[in-house]
Amino acid sequence: MNFDIDPADVAFREEVRAFLRESLPADIAERNKRGFHFLRDDMREWTKILNRKGWSGPNWPSEWGGPGWSPVRQFIFEDECFMAGAPWIDTAGFKMIGPVIMSFGSEEMKREFGPRILNGDVFWGQGFSEPNAGSDLGSLTTRAVREGDEYVINGRKIWTSYVESADVIFMLVKTDPEAKQRGISMLLVDKNAPGITIRPIIDIGEGYSLNEVFFDDVRTPVKYLVGEEGKGWSYAKHLLDLERAFSAEWPRNKRNLEQLRAMAGRARAGGERLIDSPGFAARLAQLDVDLQALEWLTLRALYERKGGNTLPVGSLLKVRGSELLQKIGEMQVEALGDYGAYFYDDPHATPAGDMNWPPGPDYAPGVVADYMYRRATTVYGGANEVQRTIIARSFLEL
Amino acid sequence: MDFQLTQEQQMLKDSARRFLEDNCAFEARGSVIGNGGFDVGHWNTFAELGWLGMSLPEEYGGLGGSAIETALLMEEFGRVLCIEPYWAVAVLAAQTIVASGDQDKAGSILPALVAGEACPVVAHGEPDARGMLSYVTTSAVPAGPGNWTLKGNKSMVIGGNVADRFIVSARTSGAPSDQTGITLFLVDRSVPGVKLHDVRLIDNRWCADIDLADVQVAEADVLGTVGGGYAALDTGHAHATVGLCAEAVGVMEKALWITRDYLKTRKQFGVTLSSFQALQHRMSEMLIELELSRGMVHKALSTMNASPEVRQLALSAAKVHVGRSGKFVCGQSIQLHGGIGVTEEYVIGHHFKRMTTIEYALGSSHFHLEQLAAMERKRVA
Ligand SMILES: Cc1cc2nc3c(=O)[nH]c(=O)nc-3n(C[C@H](O)[C@H](O)[C@H](O)COP(=O)(O)OP(=O)(O)OC[C@H]3O[C@@H](n4cnc5c(N)ncnc54)[C@H](O)[C@@H]3O)c2cc1C
Ligand SMILES: Cc1cc2nc3c(=O)[nH]c(=O)nc-3n(C[C@H](O)[C@H](O)[C@H](O)COP(=O)(O)OP(=O)(O)OC[C@H]3O[C@@H](n4cnc5c(N)ncnc54)[C@H](O)[C@@H]3O)c2cc1C
Repeated sequence: MNFDIDPADVAFREEVRAFLRESLPADIAERNKRGFHFLRDDMREWTKILNRKGWSGPNWPSEWGGPGWSPVRQFIFEDECFMAGAPWIDTAGFKMIGPVIMSFGSEEMKREFGPRILNGDVFWGQGFSEPNAGSDLGSLTTRAVREGDEYVINGRKIWTSYVESADVIFMLVKTDPEAKQRGISMLLVDKNAPGITIRPIIDIGEGYSLNEVFFDDVRTPVKYLVGEEGKGWSYAKHLLDLERAFSAEWPRNKRNLEQLRAMAGRARAGGERLIDSPGFAARLAQLDVDLQALEWLTLRALYERKGGNTLPVGSLLKVRGSELLQKIGEMQVEALGDYGAYFYDDPHATPAGDMNWPPGPDYAPGVVADYMYRRATTVYGGANEVQRTIIARSFLEL
Repeated sequence: MDFQLTQEQQMLKDSARRFLEDNCAFEARGSVIGNGGFDVGHWNTFAELGWLGMSLPEEYGGLGGSAIETALLMEEFGRVLCIEPYWAVAVLAAQTIVASGDQDKAGSILPALVAGEACPVVAHGEPDARGMLSYVTTSAVPAGPGNWTLKGNKSMVIGGNVADRFIVSARTSGAPSDQTGITLFLVDRSVPGVKLHDVRLIDNRWCADIDLADVQVAEADVLGTVGGGYAALDTGHAHATVGLCAEAVGVMEKALWITRDYLKTRKQFGVTLSSFQALQHRMSEMLIELELSRGMVHKALSTMNASPEVRQLALSAAKVHVGRSGKFVCGQSIQLHGGIGVTEEYVIGHHFKRMTTIEYALGSSHFHLEQLAAMERKRVA
């Protein structure tokens, strides 16, 4: 073992910082530091800026057109971007369907989508979950029937994040209703295809990013079948593994903790700063300990990825990372005092971009909205209970 | 000791549950929220049923009940997530007025309150107080004989958007955290210099932030004695705290049963969710936390006539426990529902939101734990 940091990686961090100082538009950074849902336009613009620099797709190897960074550089890059307030690049495109297309898709599919993902020209909705197939994805019932060179899709998906501003939906469908998991295929569908109806679902932060999507005789060309028919389940598992490797949400946890520190230094209680309360400071310190543990397990996971580790580290990180996000959020709300109960509208959701906010400190808007929305972190990407079962079965062999 | 309800108490509980489930259920809240959390019809019914005077002395038109009756009602309000400002008016304001010892003012306001005609609320909270009851920076400066000028800001005055008058705490002497030197003033909502800023809260109740810019008040507007407001606030808040904790028990309990029912019907992996032992144990923990919190409410109720110190320790302990249990029970209720739990349309997330606002009202569990920790230091020293 050797835990020395490569000086070249230190220099890389500086390079990323300098780039962010020059290239990240201030208004985008300001919006993204708030807890409200991000704007797709910000994400698009930022992806284009990154692509001009050759840094789009930080987790993509160079043969796919990415920068081909080592795991630790990907980690540094995400960390710096997030701390600076850069938008997430499209997780669905870069970390889920992109790698699946590049690994299993046809040459035509790679050519069609690879460059468009890198340039932020195509955004994705992930159509996996259904009303009766959430944790138990294998029991999905949306049907796709082949008719000539098209598939005809009927069914219903739910919880499809950001599909309202997506261009393409990648979805799991039943192509063989008899076989359970072998009968599942992965299809790409134009979001604007006739027969698609989208019903918005508002979350308890009163934000909008969730949807129910109805498919009524929706047609998609057979060339949009990903890989082989009936293999959708194994592609989905591949993709969910990729998703979970990042599910500690280390950068988000780190930034939220930083924000909490800033609040604790400014908020006052009974005449003293919140941070001067020993109890509050001790709980903050405890969160920092949790964060450090998460950082080092994430780093280990990234390094060991190449060697193919057996520890179900994605599940471990998912469980603790999501819990930490909720705990930090809880202390942020606490730091707001009375203003933690006030409803703040998302100013960016209004055309003027400006609202008559209720009174309170400038850092208040968005905190509670995010805290509420993040109740879902322990549910989405596979509920934590399911992750624990995976850990018990796959590693402890219970 | 007897944990059984009396016949009257049982009747109160039953009739409250019936009325609230029929009229104030979650599904029916939409228009009430739009009206600033207030429905005149509901309020009149509360008055007719005697709820507004349930725990007030008979001499003021009340029914002579105690904090126990308040707690019984508040628990029922909690179950349906009632957003009407019952707690702010009929508990906090009413009990503060009684405790002020100002019989003239109590005699003129409380019968009207009981009848649903007067709607006073306490404007005491300030952003930096965070549960410290003695923390008041709003000032009352003498302005000629018998007159005062009020200046300051009050935050999160629950029901302030519909109140007809405010019981404003202001400092007539001393430093921000002193218990002495706090005076209560009755201030009409229409008095010049009172600026109200209505705010909807995340749990869909409404409050007002109040700017007091050189508000002129007279000697006749003092509630109780000059400089002697703390004791009244303390007793008013004691009733309000135990009421809030009882409400929390109602919020938790309903969340628990909604979740139990959901687990018994929702199927994944070919079986109902209720068949997973991981979830059965979670539900058991939720029930344990809920019932321990109820125990803390009982304990707090038992100290309502004890000395303020003894009472405060029990209330702080109750607030700490309820804060922890509430977060756990309502948070896990969302978790066990999965995606549907985080939707605004569905009820369970609103139990979590109400618990969140209860947790930070009248001092967070952290604040109250620190009070208890200070007590521990004294015990050991
Ligand atoms: C904010 C958000 C965004 C989402 N985005 C997307 C998206 O873009 N695309 C998409 O396809 N899906 C998305 N989802 C769906 C998400 O993956 C599912 O919500 C999740 O898999 C859980 O399914 P469910 O909601 O049906 O809950 P259920 O499967 O009904 O489970 C309910 C609860 O029961 C428990 N449970 C379930 N199974 C077990 C078990 N075997 N053992 C023990 N306990 C169990 C868990 O506590 C779980 O939370 C999103 C969900 C949310 C909340
Ligand atoms: C100090 C001590 C004094 C005792 N005194 C007496 C005595 O006076 N008289 C007497 O008759 N017995 C006595 N016992 C025995 C005691 O009742 C048993 O140890 C106990 O019932 C557990 O049985 P077990 O040890 O066989 O553990 P097991 O039944 O093998 O259980 C082992 C562990 O598995 C888990 N487990 C078991 N069942 C389940 C389940 N269904 N679901 C989930 N988890 C489960 C629990 O974590 C449990 O601790 C004593 C034990 C101890 C340690």
